[in-house]
Amino acid sequence: MDITVKDLGAGVAVLQLDGRLNMVTASCLRDHVGSAVASGQNRIAVDLAGIDFIDSSGLGALINGLKTARQAGGDLRIAAPNDQVKLVLQLTNMERLLTAYDSAETAFIDG
Amino acid sequence: MAETRVHTLSMFAPPDDVDTVHNMLESVWSSAPQISMRDRVSFETALIELASNVIRHADGGGGVSCALTVEITADRIVGSLTDSGLAGNISLVAPSMPGELEESGRGLSIIHALVDEVDYDRCDDLNHWRISRKLES
Repeated sequence: MDITVKDLGAGVAVLQLDGRLNMVTASCLRDHVGSAVASGQNRIAVDLAGIDFIDSSGLGALINGLKTARQAGGDLRIAAPNDQVKLVLQLTNMERLLTAYDSAETAFIDG
Repeated sequence: MAETRVHTLSMFAPPDDVDTVHNMLESVWSSAPQISMRDRVSFETALIELASNVIRHADGGGGVSCALTVEITADRIVGSLTDSGLAGNISLVAPSMPGELEESGRGLSIIHALVDEVDYDRCDDLNHWRISRKLES
């Protein structure tokens, strides 16, 4: 999995993910969220448009990132999940905690 | 009568990992275009959760050897995984989902939600797992 970080200003970082978010790559996402938050970007938008598969390890990494961002006074939001990601979110009752936005760039447009 | 197709994979983790299973499934799906996208997504998600659990929990330190078979019949897709690791810990009853801020503990619930049968047997120091999903008609 590849991760590209874009700084949108105002403490917002977009993490653009590409590949599979699973037990092999989950720690990579945790590290990137931790680095972004440590550098003052506590509002994290995770762009899942390039993710074709997620498992429970990947879901755990998103929850870890959400907690990290919230502990710093921010938040983590996800955008553009495919049908497989939506299925996993639905089966695990995570659709409320990890509400999916249409676009990562506009996930924090309401603040 | 429809033909039964069997795909096999031998792996040793590490260095193999769940991406090895993903790659095997890519060839399975390309040879079975009759299987719906929902069946593919559901079975692959369940099988990857099973393989992840085996790799994470069955490795006692020296790696784990796995033999995976995926069998497609007229109405079912069946995954059979045999591993050389520690005795398995997968509940044959669907566990409840953990609290929403917990970072782990959802894999088994996902497996049970996506397949019709989950079987486990320990024999000759090997774990034998089997998951089966009835295909959409």
